[in-house]
Amino acid sequence: MPRSSPPETSTREHRVCALDELPPGGMRLLPLGKFGVGVFNVHGQFFAITNYCPHEGGPLCLGRVQGTTVVDQEAVGGTGYVLDGQVIRCPWHQWEFDLASGRTISEPLRRIRAYPVRVVNGDVMVTV
Amino acid sequence: MTTPLIVDASVHPYPRSNEELREWLPPAFRDRGIPDVELPWYQAPGGDHHPSTLGSGQPGSDPAEVSRAIFDEMGCAYAVLNPLTRGNLPDRLLNSAVCAATNDWLSVRWLREGNRHGCFRGTIRVNPEDVAGSIAEIERWRNDPMMIQVGVPLQSREPYGKPQFWPIWEAAANRGLPVAVLLNGGAGVEYPPTPAGHARTYPNYAAFVPLNGFVHLSSLIVEGVFERYPELVFVFSDGGSDVLTPLMWRLDSFWRPFRDQTPWVTQMPSAYVRNHVRFGFSRLEGPPDKVAPEWFELDDKSDLLLYCSHYPRWSLASPSDLPQTLATEQRARILAENALALYGLARPS
Amino acid sequence: MEETPVRVVDCDVHPSVGLLSREELAAYAPEEWRDRFYGSRAPKPPRFNYYDPPDNLHSVSMRMDSFPPGGGFPCSDPDFAFDQLIREAGVDIGILAPLGGDEIDPAAESARKVGTNNWLADAWLDKNNRHRRWRGSISVTLRAPELAAREIERWAGHTDMVQVLVSPQVGSFGDPANDPVYEAACRHGLPVATHLMGTSPYERTPLLPVGNPSHWHDFMAAWPLLFVQHVMSLVFDGTFERHPNLRVVFIEGGFTWILPVMWRMDAIWKERRLDLPWVKRAPSEYVLEHVRCTSQPMDPPESGVAEYQQFLTWMDAGRLLLFSTDYPHWSYDDPDWTRRQFPEAFRERLMYRNALDLYGLPSTVPKVPDASFQPA
Repeated sequence: MPRSSPPETSTREHRVCALDELPPGGMRLLPLGKFGVGVFNVHGQFFAITNYCPHEGGPLCLGRVQGTTVVDQEAVGGTGYVLDGQVIRCPWHQWEFDLASGRTISEPLRRIRAYPVRVVNGDVMVTV
Repeated sequence: MTTPLIVDASVHPYPRSNEELREWLPPAFRDRGIPDVELPWYQAPGGDHHPSTLGSGQPGSDPAEVSRAIFDEMGCAYAVLNPLTRGNLPDRLLNSAVCAATNDWLSVRWLREGNRHGCFRGTIRVNPEDVAGSIAEIERWRNDPMMIQVGVPLQSREPYGKPQFWPIWEAAANRGLPVAVLLNGGAGVEYPPTPAGHARTYPNYAAFVPLNGFVHLSSLIVEGVFERYPELVFVFSDGGSDVLTPLMWRLDSFWRPFRDQTPWVTQMPSAYVRNHVRFGFSRLEGPPDKVAPEWFELDDKSDLLLYCSHYPRWSLASPSDLPQTLATEQRARILAENALALYGLARPS
Repeated sequence: MEETPVRVVDCDVHPSVGLLSREELAAYAPEEWRDRFYGSRAPKPPRFNYYDPPDNLHSVSMRMDSFPPGGGFPCSDPDFAFDQLIREAGVDIGILAPLGGDEIDPAAESARKVGTNNWLADAWLDKNNRHRRWRGSISVTLRAPELAAREIERWAGHTDMVQVLVSPQVGSFGDPANDPVYEAACRHGLPVATHLMGTSPYERTPLLPVGNPSHWHDFMAAWPLLFVQHVMSLVFDGTFERHPNLRVVFIEGGFTWILPVMWRMDAIWKERRLDLPWVKRAPSEYVLEHVRCTSQPMDPPESGVAEYQQFLTWMDAGRLLLFSTDYPHWSYDDPDWTRRQFPEAFRERLMYRNALDLYGLPSTVPKVPDASFQPA
């Protein structure tokens, strides 16, 4: 079944869940858009991305959310760990995306389609 | 019609005999046995040397004879001499002594006595298994402008990107010297030349062995060596640029999945090639004339290639071995411009 | 049953034994080896981890969404594999290539392969194949050629065993000692396929001539030099002259390297024909006729697919390539994405026609009910 980018349609706001149903580190996958939209709680901030990796179209939101590595001469193995809980890895080829910026960790930068999320009266809302 | 400018980036001079090289060994090593001057690991049936180089003695051992062939007959302006040594000898200190003796011999017999025309340049041969010795040897030649690169064998028991070798590359880069990787002669302690063991035929061996250079190249990139030493350039003299595009595409495609294991690689791997890698042109590689102009533009190969005759090898090349279909500019870059730029050679008047 | 035309043949799918108990596994092994492999004193191979695929601790080298909901290892449940690969991804026929079953002792390894073949036939080809979408491989080892030939004979009549499968981590493929295997394969029109597998439970990774890199990144790029050597050996050692019907399939090692390797071999052959009296034709002719590569992992450059397609045209990829996904591994290539990377002129051949020809597959298969993809 083809997995190409979904067409543009008019947007509206959807209720994801109650605030306490999406604790930090959690994810909710909603059947919105062509491939679904995942809403993530990253240390109390919310981000929403399409469930579609720009590489080969894998189900991005099903990947693990963790941190990533940087060069750190002071650390064992010369490697430090940052952005814990903020980096999602595509479950197929493990490309790393920063949920906050909506882009790959590495250059050349590739974007993922992201959606605005806000909290209104104790509900998490996403606009798709 | 103007004769094109040509720099021969890899010529292999030999001592006339074992004794000639031995004279240059330091006294402490003069009584040590070393492999024959003429003993490649895999010998080509019918002889390792081109028939035109066979005279009365060891091919490639007479500066006048080599000068005639390279400068007079082939019309080259410069030739970069890169002598073979005697294999990866288990005693790394003896091996370094052989390298030092080779460098002394080259410096006197070829870069002074045999160099009245001033067209020869030389290579500081070092033994990567002796890191301290290699650095000392590079420093020993720091004031000799005739030595324009450092030379190491293709054969190794560890890929050259690994950290134990870094101080050697640092010393070379600090002196502005490219590092040339060349299939060495001799009989040393080495792994079989292919990942499936030994080749059953000489053509299989000869076709495969230069490709091992890619393992060195990819390890230099993935270990971040070119990030550490921005001036460092590696030259893979035996060729292998033919597999550069396919294998770099592969290296690029796995960069994002593995980035977290090697965060010091901050660019797409192929981005490092232009400033840090050169290849010897080999006539034992493609492409056919029909696709040559386009092929050499793929991944900037026209800027990466250095014409080499590999005199006195059986596969001796001449400038006419470049594909006939190349554009004038491509031909000029491969024949001379890339080497002039890399080695900072003065354009002959 | 209504039939549908075959449009996608996946030439690299990896089934695993999943939740089978030791007793169930033992029942597949040759009787005289059961106790040695599965008895109380049988050694348990360690979980190896030479080079770390991305996030390996959690993903174990798999697509993270390929773990069956009912438990077990990815591609151990034929029904879930059918849902993900056939229904969802749109593959029409999948060629199963089980990995593993290597031992230090060649006779023991042969026995392991016998057990693998018994299991594959039973669990995938016979019981769970009414939809006719699975085909299998006869696993043997080149390290025991006579036993391998016998095993090939044993399965040659099975409709759904379509190729022979061997580990490449052995000496050069062109070694005449391998001839009994190639003879048996050719006698039954079976291609010989190879996939990185290991040499023994304790020797998993190919060793490279200038030493092994520290990181999987460059190891991943360079290990196909093993396949390069096998291609060179098959040509220069005259294997294709001795076995004119032999087809060799190199799985999952990339393929773009074949173009310069053909040129390189041709150039050396022209110079060194005296050394190779048994090589009667240009090496590139042998390669185009006898060698095939699977497409995954595709590696088009970020600069765009145009350069890649030009390259594929130069290498006559329409003859050489067979589409594959490598399901359920992490480096899986999606069929629709892959199709778009191929030049249009080649798409049909690469996605299914070459495989139909090579493996003698039917041009139609029973239709399965449509099921739209639902997010998990």
